[in-house]
Amino acid sequence: MMIAFILLGALTLVGGVITIAARNAVHAALGLVGTLISVAGLFATLNASFLAATQVIVYAGAIMVLFLFVIMLLNANQPISGRDPIPFVRELAGLGGVVLAGAFTILAVSYKDPRPVAEATLALGGGSASVIGETLLTRFLLPFEAVSILLLVAIVGAVALVQRPVPQPDDVPDSEAELLTPPVGSAISRGGSQPVLQHQSLQHRNDEGEVRA
Amino acid sequence: MPDWLIPALITLLKAVLVALALLTAFAYMTLVERRLLARMQIRWGPNRVGPMGLLQPLADAIKSIFKEDLQVTMADKLVYTLAPILAIGTALTAFGGIPAGPAGSLFGADPWVYNLDAGLLALLALTSMGVYGIFLGGWASGSKYPMLGALRSSAQMISYELGMGLSVLGTLMLIGSTNFRVIVEWQALQGWTILFQVFAFALFLVSSFAEVNRTPFDLPEAEQEIVAGYLTEYSAIKWALFQMAEYVNMMTASALMATLFFGGYRGPVFLDGLIPGISGWPIIWLVVKIGFFLFLFIWVRATLPRLRYDQLMRFGWKLVLPLALGNTMLVAFHLAFLRPSGLGLWFLGLLSLAALLVLFVMGDRVRSLWSAPAAPKVPAKATRPVGGD
Repeated sequence: MMIAFILLGALTLVGGVITIAARNAVHAALGLVGTLISVAGLFATLNASFLAATQVIVYAGAIMVLFLFVIMLLNANQPISGRDPIPFVRELAGLGGVVLAGAFTILAVSYKDPRPVAEATLALGGGSASVIGETLLTRFLLPFEAVSILLLVAIVGAVALVQRPVPQPDDVPDSEAELLTPPVGSAISRGGSQPVLQHQSLQHRNDEGEVRA
Repeated sequence: MPDWLIPALITLLKAVLVALALLTAFAYMTLVERRLLARMQIRWGPNRVGPMGLLQPLADAIKSIFKEDLQVTMADKLVYTLAPILAIGTALTAFGGIPAGPAGSLFGADPWVYNLDAGLLALLALTSMGVYGIFLGGWASGSKYPMLGALRSSAQMISYELGMGLSVLGTLMLIGSTNFRVIVEWQALQGWTILFQVFAFALFLVSSFAEVNRTPFDLPEAEQEIVAGYLTEYSAIKWALFQMAEYVNMMTASALMATLFFGGYRGPVFLDGLIPGISGWPIIWLVVKIGFFLFLFIWVRATLPRLRYDQLMRFGWKLVLPLALGNTMLVAFHLAFLRPSGLGLWFLGLLSLAALLVLFVMGDRVRSLWSAPAAPKVPAKATRPVGGD
């Protein structure tokens, strides 16, 4: 198990490096897929089989396919050339990486189990779906629902972003009845004003001609 | 020889045997499919090579292995080679998790390659990885039609994966386990799940057809629209690997249907009166059930025309997914309220059957959900009368 854990950890890192180092966006996404699957393998070596399966189904099987879908649809797989638009981006990223690594090191050194490992293993129940489901919907109900609402908000936001704008009413009358009884401020009442007419289309002028006749 | 080595070798042997069996089954499946399709279209089909055409798969295999392996210039070399391997690899791995008999029934060995507690979830995870083979193959070909096929397949498989996963959820809730062996043994005691979950089975069947890209959902390789879809630039053995993956996926889907809804590796118990223990014989019952569903796949291919792409997407999202969700709610309702009040599983079966019948009767009413684009929000402009004043 320990060997498998170390190997999978190494694979995770390799995938991560490919993700940031690959020049082709599709290769980078594939590197990320490799990382996600290796993380699922790490879960599996830790006896969390449900989590491992879910990780593969949700992240590697669905979300990354959507990533790739968008990359291919927008043809974004050409290597990026030219300079980064953000100044000092590499330096900043390096600094962030060092801070993160430091934080993780401190965590790893100072970590204390919230409860004894034996008790936690017993509570895990071999990582089966029923135990996880029960824990998730009783003890961790509030965070669980909060995450659901977060996702819901994201979905609503996405729908709102891609929705076509509602058609605005224009000045062009649609039916004959409207044409015969023009409301105040419509084409006929301002018929004498030259600038407005200039902006109107040929079609519109013809319509006015019809009405005057 | 250390203790762990012998089980490992046995598992390896079983894995190799399963892979060989699947690939042989694939080869003869192509022949059976062509003969059956021919029979349904009142013609002969391949009957020249060997007696009754039985050596045709061999000839096909030799041809596709020795054919020149073409590679287009614009292809992404690594991914182009990796894609077919990924497709067949995940397909073969997925099948290994399905048990073919009770524990220890295969000459003292267990008739499965691996048995996980999260068996069904692992299988769904593996089949969801199968989309990468098609998707990457289409992209790596570096040409337009394969790209279109790849985009189609990814959207289609993600959409129907949801319906597929949700439609088996009711079964899982009834049985309370994702382990295939527990699922089969539960059915041996309580009766086949199809009796209580016929509605879920209908949804699962439709989703399975979409998941394995078979007619009427074979949009990723629709010949009349996009040449051969993701397969366009593939030839020789790589093309054959993709075909293998498709057929192995069909067999996995059939085995999944048999295991989840039709009692899996257990045969009918009444036969035990004739030959004692026949319902516990390994492999044979699973193979019979798989064979039935494979025939169904071919039959449907000979019967139904292909859906239009937008119809396919709307069908998945507007019909299969909500109905599968409704089925889950139905089972939850049964477990929470009806079962404590003494109504047994048969009542759930009746409800499920009623739901299926309502769907059949209402079929034409709800057809507009998927057959035509949604009505535009913009009100139609009144047309001006033709002519002068």
